[in-house]
Amino acid sequence: MRLHPAKQVLLHVAVVVSIAMLAFPIVLLVFNSLKTEMDIFTSPMGAPTHVTWENFRHVLAETSFLVNLKNSAIVAFSTVLLSVLVTAPAGYALSRFRFRGRTLFSIWLLATQSFPGIIMVLGLFTVLRTYGLLNRLFGLVIMHTSFSMPFSIWLLKGYFDKIPTALEEAAQIDGCTRLQSLMRIVLPLSVPGLLAVATFSLLLSWNEFFFALVIMRDNAHYTLPVFLSRFLGSGGVVQWGPLSAAALLVSIPVFVLFLLGQRYLVSGLTGGAIK
Amino acid sequence: MQADRAAPRQRLEQERRALPFLLPALGVLCLVSLYPLIQGVSRVFYAYRALSQQNVFVGLENFRLLFQDPTFARAFLNSLVWVATSVGGMFFLSYILATMLNSRFLRFRRIFRTLTLIPWALPGVVVSLTWRYIFLVNGPLNTVLAALGVANPPSWITDPQLALWTCIAANTWMGIPFVTIMLLAGLQSIDRQIVEAAAMDGASYLQAQWHVIMPSIKQVVLIVLTLQTIWTFNSFDIVFVLTKGGPGSASITLPLYAYQNAFMYYQAGYGAAIGVIILLVLVFAVVLYIREVLQ
Repeated sequence: MRLHPAKQVLLHVAVVVSIAMLAFPIVLLVFNSLKTEMDIFTSPMGAPTHVTWENFRHVLAETSFLVNLKNSAIVAFSTVLLSVLVTAPAGYALSRFRFRGRTLFSIWLLATQSFPGIIMVLGLFTVLRTYGLLNRLFGLVIMHTSFSMPFSIWLLKGYFDKIPTALEEAAQIDGCTRLQSLMRIVLPLSVPGLLAVATFSLLLSWNEFFFALVIMRDNAHYTLPVFLSRFLGSGGVVQWGPLSAAALLVSIPVFVLFLLGQRYLVSGLTGGAIK
Repeated sequence: MQADRAAPRQRLEQERRALPFLLPALGVLCLVSLYPLIQGVSRVFYAYRALSQQNVFVGLENFRLLFQDPTFARAFLNSLVWVATSVGGMFFLSYILATMLNSRFLRFRRIFRTLTLIPWALPGVVVSLTWRYIFLVNGPLNTVLAALGVANPPSWITDPQLALWTCIAANTWMGIPFVTIMLLAGLQSIDRQIVEAAAMDGASYLQAQWHVIMPSIKQVVLIVLTLQTIWTFNSFDIVFVLTKGGPGSASITLPLYAYQNAFMYYQAGYGAAIGVIILLVLVFAVVLYIREVLQ
């Protein structure tokens, strides 16, 4: 089958316009971050008439950005680490063992995705207070890890299912324990799956807003999304130049890591994680 | 299953071996999902009395109050509109985009596919504040409308009729990458010859979409729709940052109203009751989602 040349051109135009619609708000952010307030006011969507770095300087030097960046980095990387440590063995158990409660465990795991934040946070207050984790970054790390668990365990189970058990059986005859065969045979073959889990957890933790807002009590413990929402303020005049610069600074680190990891995330998602 | 029943001893052995692998995940699940759920739901039976500064047991009083509360009714209706239109919009636009990205007549498919993912990587807070800028009275959208000759472009965010729709636009935009990628994966798994055979047999374009393509990707479609319904119903940051539920309570949704009650008016029980309503509304979507995934 061939497509009429005019139709083919139309197809490409339609795709380019769609992508432009998806990229346009980010272009606006970049433009605004490099403009003066006056420039933003007089031309709300044009390119900067003269480029200024003042907005970035302001965010880095005169706000708590670096403190909140440190919090976000600690929380996000701990979440990635903990997620991998918790979900890899669980995915392995689901893939290799038959046990009572296996279906119940799966149902519970998947159902947690629907639990309303408000109920979880009200219930968590008691837990976190009991263990002295209120206003501690570690409390947030555990939360974020639990959010990444349904997706991550499911994705890794799918990866492990595809690895032939014959490889492990051979190793076990040679005296490998189950844990050793997971560490030495299954995990090295599942690196793309682990990278997908890492990308997913990183994105989730870095961008998560509600729990970060409610569990943390002071600016010294806020993560970047909360920093941004406070920067925006509630009413009054918004300084769009510095705000756009801050929004970009918040987005860029994970955006770059996302571009590196998206390949694994997409193939994990589409290759059995959800189905 | 049969084999399991035939060899209980072997199953016991398997369970003994599986437990250490499951323990970390079970620990996290119990600590931050099972226990908080029970604890959180139990809050609905209590109300905070400012006079005595104590939480007192009130039975089902919070639910009785909910059904008389006009703001709750507003939030409930808004939430239904918010979910139906956001998820519907995401699905419709993503389906078209995925179909185009799946065309074998499209060049640079890989690059286009990667570019589609862009909004996915942005924090919800960044998305909301960007759209808040787009919808400003003197912002980009109204500049375009003015250039097109619209006499009085609306003030989107502060207009009670429009505020919720600004949130819906932002949310739809943010959800497109995920839905597109999932649908695209579904479309890629369809054998092209089947679609071409349908065309040969005289099926129109829309007939082929409905009778051939949709049934082939039914599972992905159901999973994407149920997941997005769950996520969107529980979504907090878009509305919180874009309109704060305002003006008044024009664009308020259930999670935002629950938050306001629990953390601004110190009515945790009332907030938890709203959470229970959310959970009840979502049960249908959750059951459907779990059934599809476990299949």
